[in-house]
Amino acid sequence: MKKPKDLKPSTLSLHAGQRPDSDFGARATPIYQSSSFVFPDTETAAGIFNVERAGHVYSRITNPTNAVLEERISALEGGIGAITTASGQAALVLAITTILEKGSHLIASKSLYGGSHNLLEYTLPRFGIDTTFVDLRKTNDIKKNIKKNTKLIFGETLGNPGLDVLNIPKVSKIAHDNNIPLLVDSTFTTPYLMQPFSLGADLIFHSATKFLSGHGVVIGGLLVDGGKFDWGSSTKFKTLTEPYKGFHDMNFVNEYGPAAYINRARKEGARDFGACMSPHTAFLVLQGIETLNLRMERHIQNTRSIVDFLNSHQSVKSVCYPELESHPDHKLAKDILPKGCGAVFTFQLEGNKETGKKFIEQLNLFSHLANVGDAKSLVIHPASTTHHRMSNDALKKAGITESTIRLSVGIEDCDDLIEDLDEALTYSTRK
Amino acid sequence: MYYFPAKKFKKNSKPIVFIHGTGMDHSVWTLPVRYFLRKKRDVLSIDLPGHGKSKGKLIASISKFSDHVFKLLDNNSIKKCSIVGHSMGSLIALEMASAQPHRVKSMSLIGTAFPMQVNDQLLEFAKSDVQKAIDILTFMGYSNQARIGRNKNPGMWMTESTRRLMQQSKKGVIYNDLLACSNFKGGLEKAKKVTAKVQLILGSNDFLTPTRKATDLIDSFDNPDVKEIVNSGHTLMVEDPNKVLDYLIEAL
Repeated sequence: MKKPKDLKPSTLSLHAGQRPDSDFGARATPIYQSSSFVFPDTETAAGIFNVERAGHVYSRITNPTNAVLEERISALEGGIGAITTASGQAALVLAITTILEKGSHLIASKSLYGGSHNLLEYTLPRFGIDTTFVDLRKTNDIKKNIKKNTKLIFGETLGNPGLDVLNIPKVSKIAHDNNIPLLVDSTFTTPYLMQPFSLGADLIFHSATKFLSGHGVVIGGLLVDGGKFDWGSSTKFKTLTEPYKGFHDMNFVNEYGPAAYINRARKEGARDFGACMSPHTAFLVLQGIETLNLRMERHIQNTRSIVDFLNSHQSVKSVCYPELESHPDHKLAKDILPKGCGAVFTFQLEGNKETGKKFIEQLNLFSHLANVGDAKSLVIHPASTTHHRMSNDALKKAGITESTIRLSVGIEDCDDLIEDLDEALTYSTRK
Repeated sequence: MYYFPAKKFKKNSKPIVFIHGTGMDHSVWTLPVRYFLRKKRDVLSIDLPGHGKSKGKLIASISKFSDHVFKLLDNNSIKKCSIVGHSMGSLIALEMASAQPHRVKSMSLIGTAFPMQVNDQLLEFAKSDVQKAIDILTFMGYSNQARIGRNKNPGMWMTESTRRLMQQSKKGVIYNDLLACSNFKGGLEKAKKVTAKVQLILGSNDFLTPTRKATDLIDSFDNPDVKEIVNSGHTLMVEDPNKVLDYLIEAL
C-alpha cells in the first residue's frame, strides 16, 4: 500500500486553497473585489442563505479570495478552517467572543502585546468578560486561577516583548483537564517555526500584518480552528451546544461536529461584528505567504547573527532571546522551536532612557515604527510606545524597562544591519 | 440510536434516512439535511451504533447495522423510507433495500462499489495504529485536486476536517467499519432483489471506491440512474456538495 504523501509546507504555501481560475486560467489568485455575488435563481439564493449549499453571499462573511487565504493558513497550521479578519486584534476579539459572554472569565499571559493587554484589561470588562493575568510558566498559578466560569486560556507562542516561550504541551494539558481550550497568538512564530495545534493548542490567531504578509503593506488577521477541542463535553460552551436564535436555532455542535467553533465564529462574529478583511488585503497576504519559508529562514539567520553581535558588544547590558542560554526558556525553546525563536527580540542598553533615544534616532537602516515582521528591519522603544498604557507594575512583570529596545530583524544583508547597529551603539554610548 | 434532528414522526411519514460511512457521523450530511428540512421533508440523519452520539456496541456486520436501522424505523412507526448512504452507509442501504424491499422507496448510493474489499494492510493499521489508517483513509478519500483545496464551502480545509472527524471516533470504530465493508458478501445478488428506485453518485477520481469497481453493481440493478461527478474523489459531499444535493433532489 502506498504511503500517503501529504504536501510539504513550502508547497502548501504556494498552492493550498487555490487552483487555476476556471474562467480564464489565471495562475495567481484573482482578487474578487466584489461586495456580493449573484445568485443564479431564487431557489439557489435561499439554499445558500440556509447553508444547505456552498457559496458566497456577501464579502463581510465570505469571499473567494479570502477563502483561499483561509484554506492556506489552515493547511499550514494543520487546522480545519479559518476566518480572515480586519486585523490581528479583530481576530482576537472574534476568538474570544465566539465562546465567551457576559460573566465569563479567561486566563491570559501577563506578557502580551500591548494591544491585546488593553483589550483584556480595559475593554472587555466593560462587556462583562474578565481576565486574570498570570505568568503562564507558573502552572500552579494557572490552576489556582481557574474558576467555574473560565472558558479560555490565552498566551503568545513567544511573549511580547520578553519572548517567554509558551509551554503549549504543559499549559494545554492543564486547560484540557479543566475542559478549557487554549488559544495562542502565533504571530511571532508563524507556521514555519511552530505548529501549535500539534503541540496541544486548540485555536490560533495571527496578525497577518506581520511575517505572514511580510512586507508591512497590510493590516489583517486570521483565526484558525484546530477542530480538536470537544465543545460538547461540558455545558460550558452554550454558544456551541445550545440552539442559536440568531441562526434559526442552529446547534453548532450537532450540525458541524468538530467544525462547530469556526462555523459559529463565521455565522455570528464575522456576520455581526463585521471586522472583515478586504479581498485585496487577502491577496497581499497570500503573496507574502508564498515566500514565507524563504523569508523566515533569512529572518532567523540574520537574527542569530545580530543576537551574537549584540550579546558580545560592550555597550549592551543584556540580550533577551530564547536561543541564548541566559534566557529562562532556553531549554524549552530548543524542544519546541528547533528552527529558531523568531526575528523579534529585545536588548538592554548600558545607560538610561536618553541613551536609548539617541540609539534609535541614530539608526539608519532600522526604521523606527510600531510594527514587527516586515522584510525591512525595525526598531522601537516599548516602554514609551507599544506598551506605554501598561502600569509600571505590569511593565515590570512583562520584563520591560526604560532601556529596553525591541528589534524586528529584516532580510537585508546582515553585514549592513550589523554596521548600522554598531554605529548607533557607538554614537549613543559616547561619553 | 441517535439521529438528527431529534423529533417524532407523524403517522405514515416516509422520511429520508441518511447513513454515514466509516468512522463518520451524521454531521457529514448537514447540507442536504438542511435542504430537505426546509422543504418540510422528514429526515433521520443517523449515527450508527457506537458512532458519534450513539451508544451501543460496535458491530462489524453490514446486515446487523441494517437491522439496527430497521429497528429505529420500527420504533418510530416508519413503514417506508428513502435511504441515502455514503461508502459503508451505501452497503447498509443496499442490505436494507434487499432485505425488506417493500420498505425502501428509493435509495441513493454515494461513493459505492462492490465488493468493498479493504486492503489487509489497511485493516491491520486500523487495528494496531489507527492514526496511520486515518491518514491513509483521508489521503485516499480525496481526489488529487481536492488535496490542494479550493473548497466550495468557504474557508474550510477539506482533508483536515475529515481527518478530525475520524479522529473523534471511538476506539475500534475505524477497524470495525472497515471490517464490516470487507465482510459484506453477496452484494450483486442483493442488488437484484432491490425494487426501489436506485441512484448511484460516483466520483471520477475516487481512489477508495473507483468507478470501475461499481460496474458490476450498476449492472445488477434494474435501470439505475448513475451520476458521475467529474474530478471528485470519494468524499463527494465535501468535494462537490452542490452537485450531490442537486442529484439527491432529483432522486428524492
